[in-house]
Parts: sequence; structure tokens; C-alpha cells
Amino acid sequence: MNHKGDFLSLLKHKDTLQVDGETSREPNTKALIHDAFQLPSQEKATYGTTLEIPEATTVVAMRYNEGIIIAGDRRATAGTAVVHDRAEKVLPIDTHSVLAISGAPAMAYEIARVLKHSFQYFRRSQLQELSVEGKLRTLSRLIRENLPMAMQGIGAVIPIFALYAPQTDESKNGGKIYFYDALGAHFENVDFATTGSGSIWIRGVLRYLDRWGETQLENMDQQQATVTILRLLDTASEYDAATSGYNAKAEIFPTLKTITRQGIETLSDQYLAECYAEVT
Amino acid sequence: MRDLPYRWIEAIQDRRDYIEDQLRLGSPVVGLPYTQGSLLLTVSKGAQKIFEVHDRIALSAIGHPADIERLRMLVTDTASVQAFQSATEDVNLHRLTHYVLAHTFKQAFEAIVGEAYIIKMLLVEIGNGDAATQFTHINYDGNVKVQQEAAVIGGTTEIEDAMQNYLASEQNDAKPDLPTALHLALKTWAVGRELSQRFEEAEDNTEVTDEQIGEIINTELENGEIEVGILDFTLSGDTKFRLLTQDEIQAARETN
Repeated sequence: MNHKGDFLSLLKHKDTLQVDGETSREPNTKALIHDAFQLPSQEKATYGTTLEIPEATTVVAMRYNEGIIIAGDRRATAGTAVVHDRAEKVLPIDTHSVLAISGAPAMAYEIARVLKHSFQYFRRSQLQELSVEGKLRTLSRLIRENLPMAMQGIGAVIPIFALYAPQTDESKNGGKIYFYDALGAHFENVDFATTGSGSIWIRGVLRYLDRWGETQLENMDQQQATVTILRLLDTASEYDAATSGYNAKAEIFPTLKTITRQGIETLSDQYLAECYAEVT
Repeated sequence: MRDLPYRWIEAIQDRRDYIEDQLRLGSPVVGLPYTQGSLLLTVSKGAQKIFEVHDRIALSAIGHPADIERLRMLVTDTASVQAFQSATEDVNLHRLTHYVLAHTFKQAFEAIVGEAYIIKMLLVEIGNGDAATQFTHINYDGNVKVQQEAAVIGGTTEIEDAMQNYLASEQNDAKPDLPTALHLALKTWAVGRELSQRFEEAEDNTEVTDEQIGEIINTELENGEIEVGILDFTLSGDTKFRLLTQDEIQAARETN
């Protein structure tokens, strides 16, 4: 099989990699992948068939005029069952960076925990903050190390990593948003990023708003950005059963955080309730 | 040498004299509580002397820079591993002091054929809100002294006593705000600095006037700069430590 360098397609290619039936003429490829990722031996292994990236959630980040606003819904699901309605998917890592997680919670929380400790330990031992590039590579490595779990279909984690570089010139917006794939490659999304199963319903909306909206995303103030994010999450919850909306009865709000030059701020429920008045 | 007890004691005494001689001119450190936490203050010439150990624990020391660095890394690593393996709430200063640092200091000091640590260390831990602040002073021989109100380290025991006496005469029951605490800590530091220079000239007088305090601060700041690390329990996030910037220190000095 000629995969033309597309490693992800290679992993997903069922016909070539299927063990049973001996249809494949490239047994070495299977062994190579098996060994490379130290996958557990299975009698009927079907490598690549379970790398379903979208996970049950919606997280979204966008740049606004002071930095980054980053948000996530609160629902945790197992199949069609809602197992928790107060999940925190937007996790502060240090004073100026936040990880928004989609995917298997156990792996995602552990990645966030390891990341937090890594940044803290670097600062405490080396007496300086880890560089932006250093932070991105640390997260890349953690995601890549999680690939065997992702390959088995039980532990894929696809996060958004957002940070504010405080050393940025005061006249510029130092907010940066990074999107990762399952292999740990990171890409900088200039204006917005979204991931999780609900993201397909709002990605196009974000693009539309940024290109043709009355106010470009980056020029919005905090109030406008908050209302926009709440509307987007509401839209995602309308079409994606794994994304929760605002639960007025139980007063469960999505998690919204801003990352600015001053640091991370969690927007209060009271503030969100006021903004919801504009949404509904 | 160990087969002759009196020679071992003699060797220990020699080692004590040697270390104290090395520490004598070290820039003192003052630890004081204030309304929102605690501060550590010293005056340094280039190299950083106040460090973050963990979320609520900070450290400063006088001594040989290589020894400070080695022991700083030891305590920082231990705290990080403990926090990673269990939880950050399980890291506490008492455990770090008694199970990690004190016996390391003592072992190095008494192993007379090995190298000694030339160091005196001051650590501080803050609790939540009104919970007690704890200052821990560790001597080069592993002796530990825990204090709640304030703590100092200086070149000799006499210098430390004089600094403590000065603090006791200036402190009152109410916790000061940050600028007031900073001002008092700087004056206490100056007392220690003045005395370490006097001992160099073999003077026994330990009285330091306000005029001399002002004079020594001005002289020392020509070549050095004030370094202040705070543990502020009102800071958001897990980490409560930060170093004050020179602008913040200047602003605090001007309000007094």
C-alpha cells in the first residue's frame, strides 16, 4: 500500500491492516505499527478501525479584543447516557494557559495534570517560565504517548490549548490558540478553534461570523464575545445530544474563561446569567 | 580519627568554626507575616536568593551558592514528586523539613571526611486565610527552629539575636500591611548587615541607631537590590508565590 506519507490514513486503512483473512500482502506493516505503539496483542486485532476522533462534547476558543475567551459545555456522556452534568472541560494549567479537553475524561484529566506539574516544575527548578514552544511540545508528547489508548478506541484526547504570551508588545493581542491532532501535531489557529462532537455544527458559524459578521471576532469586547460563545454552545447543544445547553432550572452554566495579559479569569454565573438574557 | 573521641569532637568544632567563618558576611534574610500572607526579604547582588518551593512554600538561604542550589533542588524535587504522586495538599513544610532537609544537613555536617554544606536556610509556609504561618530556620548542623511571628537568618547567632530583638521592639500585635512589613523587614535586614560588618572589625557593640540603618541601606543599595518574595493567599490559582518587581518594591517604600 502506498500511503504517500499520510500516516493517519495508513492507521485507518482497514483492508490493508486487517489481520484475519490474510488478504493483506504487507504483514510487516502490521507488525511495525503494533511494535511502534506497543499495542496489546489481540487475537482479532482490527487496528485503525476505532480511531474515531470526535468525542462527546463541545469546546470552543476564540480571540477577542483583550485576549482569548475559551469555553466548554458541562455534559459527560457514556454512549447515549448522560452520566454527569457538571463536568469541567476548561482547565487552567498555569497563570496564562488553559487546556480545553474533548475525549476520554480519564486520559484528558491526567494529561492536564501532568501538563500542570511539568510547567510548575520547570518554573520552580529553572527559575523561569517554560517558553511557548516548550509548552506546546510538552503537550504534543503527552498526546502522542496516549496514541495506543486512542488506537484502541478508549482514550482519544483532542484538546485545544490556549494561552496569552504576557511578553507580547502592549499594542498587540498576545492570545494564541492551538489545535492538536491525535498524533500530537499542533497547529496555531489564528482566530478560533473548536473541537468535540458538537464542533461540526458551529465551526462554519464561527467562520461566517469572523468573515462577514458585524464585528470581527478579534474586535469584539468581552460582553460581545461571551454572548457569541453562549449562542454557539446553545446551537451545538441543539444538534448534538452529547453537548449540554444552559440548564436554567438547575442553574448549570457552561464554563467560560478569559485569558488576558492579567491572567485567567473564570466568568461568574451571575455574569453569564446576564449575558444569557441577550441569548434567549 | 573516629577511634579517638576527643579528636572527632575537635574535628566537629573545627568544622563549625570554618562554616561560621564562611557564613559571617552573608546577606541576612528576614521573614515577616503581613495581612495577606508572608514575605521574605533580602538584598542581593545579582543572583536570586528567594525561591518558590511549592504552591505555599518559599525558601531563602545564606551560604555557598552551590550548596544553596543543591539543597534547593532537593527540597523542590521532593515537594514536586510528593504532589505528583498524591496531591499538592499533601505537601507540607513540616515533612520537608524533618524528613528531607534536617537529616541531610546533619549527615553532611557530621561526616567529617566529607564536604560540609555551608548554608543556613529559612523556609516559610502559609496556610489558608487566618491559618498559621510557619517559618522554619534550619542551621548548617541540622538544628531546626520553628517560629510563627517572624524569623531571620544572619551570619552568626549573635547577629540573628540582635535582629530578632530589633523586630520584637518594632513589631506590634496587629499584622502590618505589605508596605509596612516590607519597610520593617528592610530595617531589620540593615541591622543584621551592619552587625556582620562590625564583627568583621571585632566590635562587640550590638546597638544600631536609625541613622546607621538608613546609612547602611543607602550604601548597600548602590551595588545591590532589594529582593522580596511573597506568599499571598489572595492570589488566584494554586501558586501563591511571586517575586515583587522592582517597581512594586519602590512603590511600597515610597508609601512609608
